[in-house]
Amino acid sequence: MAKVVLKNVTKKFGKVVAVNRVNLEVKDGEFFVLLGPSGCGKSTTLRLIAGLEEPDEGEIWIGDRLVNNVDPVKRNVAMVFQSYALYPHMTVYQNIEFPLKMAGVPINERRKRVVEVARFLGIEDLLNRYPKQLSGGQQQRVAVARAIVRSPEVFLLDEPLSNLDAKLRVKMRFELRKLLHDKLGITTIYVTHDQVEAMTMADKIAVMNNGRVMQIGRPIDVFERPQNMFVAGFIGIPPMNFMVGTLIAKEDKLFLETGDVKIIVPDKYIDPLKPYVGRDIVMGIRPQDIIIDTRPSQGYYEAIVIGYEPLGLESYIHFSIGDNTDYVAVVKGRLNISLGEKIYWVFNKDRVFFFDKKTQQAIA
Amino acid sequence: MRIKFKLSRILWIAFVYLVLSIFALVYLTPFIRSFVASFMTWEQASRFPPEWIPSPFTFENYLKLFRLELFTRWILNSALYAGVIVVGNILFASMAGYAFARLRFPGRDALFSALLALLMIPVFVTIVPNYIIVYRLGLIDNIFGLALLSLVNVSSIFLMKQYYLSLPQEVFDAARLDGCGPIKAFFYIALPLGKPAIGAVAVYQFLGAWNAFLGPLVFLRSPENFTLPVGLSFAFQRSMWTEYTPIIAGSLVAAAPTILLFIVLNKYLIRGIVISAGKG
Repeated sequence: MAKVVLKNVTKKFGKVVAVNRVNLEVKDGEFFVLLGPSGCGKSTTLRLIAGLEEPDEGEIWIGDRLVNNVDPVKRNVAMVFQSYALYPHMTVYQNIEFPLKMAGVPINERRKRVVEVARFLGIEDLLNRYPKQLSGGQQQRVAVARAIVRSPEVFLLDEPLSNLDAKLRVKMRFELRKLLHDKLGITTIYVTHDQVEAMTMADKIAVMNNGRVMQIGRPIDVFERPQNMFVAGFIGIPPMNFMVGTLIAKEDKLFLETGDVKIIVPDKYIDPLKPYVGRDIVMGIRPQDIIIDTRPSQGYYEAIVIGYEPLGLESYIHFSIGDNTDYVAVVKGRLNISLGEKIYWVFNKDRVFFFDKKTQQAIA
Repeated sequence: MRIKFKLSRILWIAFVYLVLSIFALVYLTPFIRSFVASFMTWEQASRFPPEWIPSPFTFENYLKLFRLELFTRWILNSALYAGVIVVGNILFASMAGYAFARLRFPGRDALFSALLALLMIPVFVTIVPNYIIVYRLGLIDNIFGLALLSLVNVSSIFLMKQYYLSLPQEVFDAARLDGCGPIKAFFYIALPLGKPAIGAVAVYQFLGAWNAFLGPLVFLRSPENFTLPVGLSFAFQRSMWTEYTPIIAGSLVAAAPTILLFIVLNKYLIRGIVISAGKG
């Protein structure tokens, strides 16, 4: 087992900077998730760690070794690919055995370890089958078996659940974490664009965008204390609402003037926001932190319903406050409203976020 | 509405079949003519307007073939020639195709473009320089010397390259992480996965080599070294005229393996076309 450290790593493909001065530290035995939209550089980062790509700048350390010029196989990392990349012309047994065979492990030892790993993953009945005779979930187990059979120090997974159906994905999510983290304790770097996977599996998440790391932290940290608008908007379903407006001071209160409304800034944010008076800022509110009422009440703001999505246990209400932006609120159960109707909303005063409009960085 | 639709559909199918039948007839006529003529005397076969029913019906043309002392020798020579070329192409084209598709080395794309440009050069341009090379090697009048020139073919390399490009990159990445260098990855992964394309290369090259005429005609001198197509024309060409009916019979005998091959392996031929048309 080993820690993985990336120092100022940059990778370019022609003029495109796929990975831009990335710094990461993955601790020994940690389950680390690289999360971001497609094209954000997370898979390239993983391939750089694996040695499938060479960095243009920076250092990659695995354990105590600088591995920039070390061949992939000598890095002692194993990888599970999105498509599983099983060898179609080999049986499950031969697939799992292959890395051992290439490493020159004697045949008796090979057989012992393949059977051991297969039993561990519950695929010993499949050893004589070919990959095309397996279901998606079974193929994935074989890919995991092939990766763990040679006891790697670091385990790399590139969107391993994205080819599975939704139900199986939930099951495998749980199983993978249990296997890699709880049972084997191998340092794991896991790439995904699915925030639910990231939130449920990770010890730590690095959120990436445009080749850069936007924030690194525990799942709860990136959710509760997003450092910038990208992270705030990327994590959370549905995404956070951003209300852009001008901050104005009146007596000893602050207001955000946006659309047709003036929103009172909760008292606890007044101090950090004082330097921004007169400037445009962004207020972020998660849809779950908005309270909706169909009748006017004290302290509630007016809005017009522009969409309604009942999901069963909860409903999404899309509304407008006269600034041409679609805001979303999540309410429990169902609500009897129709399009164009007036509703009234207010937000949980303890759970709002403020960002500098220009730098997009969090203010408070 | 429905009936109208059906009627126009039937008319369309009838039209398509008519056109296809005409084409089939155009392409089949020479073959049918050859088949019929192989049972005619040369006197009847050369008559104009052509006659279509052998009278008298004779096996003489076929018997003439089998009376030729060197007939089996020529068949063996052709088989040897085609065999060497097929093996050479499988070996070298799969390696080159793999290298062009999957390895990164300086000048790769320029080299491949240069190879493709070779396809534009007619064979007649290179035949004299090739002759000189083979002559200097002391391999004129030698089946192997001739086969040397066709051991690998640009179109075979192209086909293999296209096929390897169509395989997922992740499989090769996985092999790299599992400890395969480029050579091990070729033998353990690329070669076994390349079977469909290799099949297509083998069939195409066999057909080309078996029917080759110009190369064997120029590079081979002694009758006992001839391949079947050259041997046949040598045997029945007189100084003033050519006895065509035995040549026709011989051609049909010579074509038998290729026709058989086509019937058995045409899925490989079609796959070859599909692969070549793939992404580049």
